[in-house]
Amino acid sequence: MNEDYLWDKSGEPDPEIQRLEQILGTLRYEEKPLELPEQITPSRSHNHVFLLAIAATLLLALVGAGLWLKARNNQGPQEEYAKAPTSNSTPEPKKEERLADKSTVLDTPSVEKKETEPRRHVARAKIQTKRAWTSEQREEALAAKQQLMLALRLASEKLNEVQRRTVSPVTPAKNQHKVG
Amino acid sequence: MKSIFHYKYSKLLIAASSLMLTVQIAQAQTPKLQLNSLDHLSAKASETVDVSIDERLIQTAIKIFSDQDPDEREIKKLVSGLKGIYVRSFEFANEGEYSSVDLQPVLTQLQDPAWSRIVNITSKKEGNVEVYLRMLNDQITGLAVLSAELKELTIVNLVGPVDLEKLTRLEGRLGIPELGIESTKPKTKNEQ
Repeated sequence: MNEDYLWDKSGEPDPEIQRLEQILGTLRYEEKPLELPEQITPSRSHNHVFLLAIAATLLLALVGAGLWLKARNNQGPQEEYAKAPTSNSTPEPKKEERLADKSTVLDTPSVEKKETEPRRHVARAKIQTKRAWTSEQREEALAAKQQLMLALRLASEKLNEVQRRTVSPVTPAKNQHKVG
Repeated sequence: MKSIFHYKYSKLLIAASSLMLTVQIAQAQTPKLQLNSLDHLSAKASETVDVSIDERLIQTAIKIFSDQDPDEREIKKLVSGLKGIYVRSFEFANEGEYSSVDLQPVLTQLQDPAWSRIVNITSKKEGNVEVYLRMLNDQITGLAVLSAELKELTIVNLVGPVDLEKLTRLEGRLGIPELGIESTKPKTKNEQ
């Protein structure tokens, strides 16, 4: 049997091979151009899904950021409220430090004090009100308080001086001596 | 054309001057002292304190005062009625770095009959201190303290109904002393 036919189709073919060729030849590759239907509408379902996914991600990110900010704001006022009285002790110009030392009574953190039940409710309500403040408002209020205290301390210092200087010429010892 | 321009110009000038006069009268009627004339001293001073708190800031500040703390409650009561707190304090390295001329614009404002000087302490060694009250129908509407020491100049101006009783009650807490001036009506300028 000549097998050349199997390699290069030369020589005499085997009838069995010819029969197989005929049977399988129907499935042979035929080169022809792609034929598309004339009216074709591209599907946009994939784009919708993609956009929805982006929107959902953005929404989730926004909700997450909002929750985080809310939690942060809820934490903020309490911390600042507790810190507020001690803020006078932060490094400041010399004069302010000197004046701040004169009223240590005011520097006691009020939130640490023991409270009765109704008072606690009032305090809680106050803290909740403070929570509603923005950070700028809190900062402004704290700065205003600090300035107010400084102004009152200066005023008191000067009034103390007035009292000292108006009272000092008449000493109690001299009075006693005169009476005696 | 020239006369029309002159006419318009003179009308504008009159309007501007009347506006300035109105502003000056309004300023003179308010217990708030104009302390801007002292600003140039900050360049010479080694330490400066400049506090300007208007009514809005006072109201903002008192929200943060605690009602549980008796001292803060007392201060809150004292300042809640105030319309403004203004302080200028200058500390100088050497003596004679400011003069009475610098103080003159402030003193001129205090010459207004509505202001009454209730305390005047003069001392070459310790400096001068003056306390002024502004009254309206037996109601205190303003307080001014001028302390002119050798190396320090301080002006405190409280605007609004200063409750001296409450101020006295702060004694020992904020160091605010009892002046003993609430029982005696301050003398007017004519009486002095």
